[in-house]
Amino acid sequence: MILLLAALFVLGVYVVIYAFDLFDYKLESLPITDFTKGVDNFVAGVEDGSLSTVTIIILVLLAILGLIWFIAELRPSAPRRVRMGSGTYVTRSVVEDEVSTVAEQVPDVLGSSVGVKAKRSPGAQVDLEARVRRGEDLGTIKSGLQSTVRERLSERGLPVSKLNVKLVEADPRQTKTRVQ
Amino acid sequence: MADGIELARAASVAALATEGVYSMGRGRYVEPATYEGSEKVSGVVVTPEDLEIHIVARYPLPRPIPEIAETIREIVAPYAGGRKTIVLL
Repeated sequence: MILLLAALFVLGVYVVIYAFDLFDYKLESLPITDFTKGVDNFVAGVEDGSLSTVTIIILVLLAILGLIWFIAELRPSAPRRVRMGSGTYVTRSVVEDEVSTVAEQVPDVLGSSVGVKAKRSPGAQVDLEARVRRGEDLGTIKSGLQSTVRERLSERGLPVSKLNVKLVEADPRQTKTRVQ
Repeated sequence: MADGIELARAASVAALATEGVYSMGRGRYVEPATYEGSEKVSGVVVTPEDLEIHIVARYPLPRPIPEIAETIREIVAPYAGGRKTIVLL
């Protein structure tokens, strides 16, 4: 970032020198005549309305892209901390660690990975991926895991607005624990 | 009502005396603290509107997190001078 800013600063100095013909440096002396002619022709084409269909489509797409980008920039960024109630917050890692600990205490779970997103409203969105042996009853494990995690987090006072549980069948030789 | 560093000091003492609090939070990237002169109180940030108290809870938790936060808030309230007290774990 610092290098980029430094490069922009140097470029700015050069632009000022060439633009005001300082120290015998002139803008006309730069080898950019083809480029400036191209820009001139393009702008003249825009003014005359004589652009090709492909160019018009590209310009419209660019305008739409810019609009989407602008709207995306207007959206406030997601909060970093999980809001619990009035004036109490926990870091996302607290929720992650707690969910991971609880999930790995469930007998059928061999390993887990947790993602936590803080919401503007109280509670966090938790995405839990649990690894289980092949051939297990996934439906039973999933509902058991969901209720266990919700119950434990509720005991701790950690609010969860949404809990997504995904079970992945895995080889026990490649998981954190082979046997529970 | 205390102000600035005095309030930070009182909040820190109150937080550390609360059951379930292991230490004041020191942040991962930036240390939350209040400075005045050569003194620094870690884990407390005092602004004209808010009083932020960063704590590390003891594990396993002796009681739910909201209760710990509420206790801290109640103890600190007389010093806060109308500031909104925010507890961060």
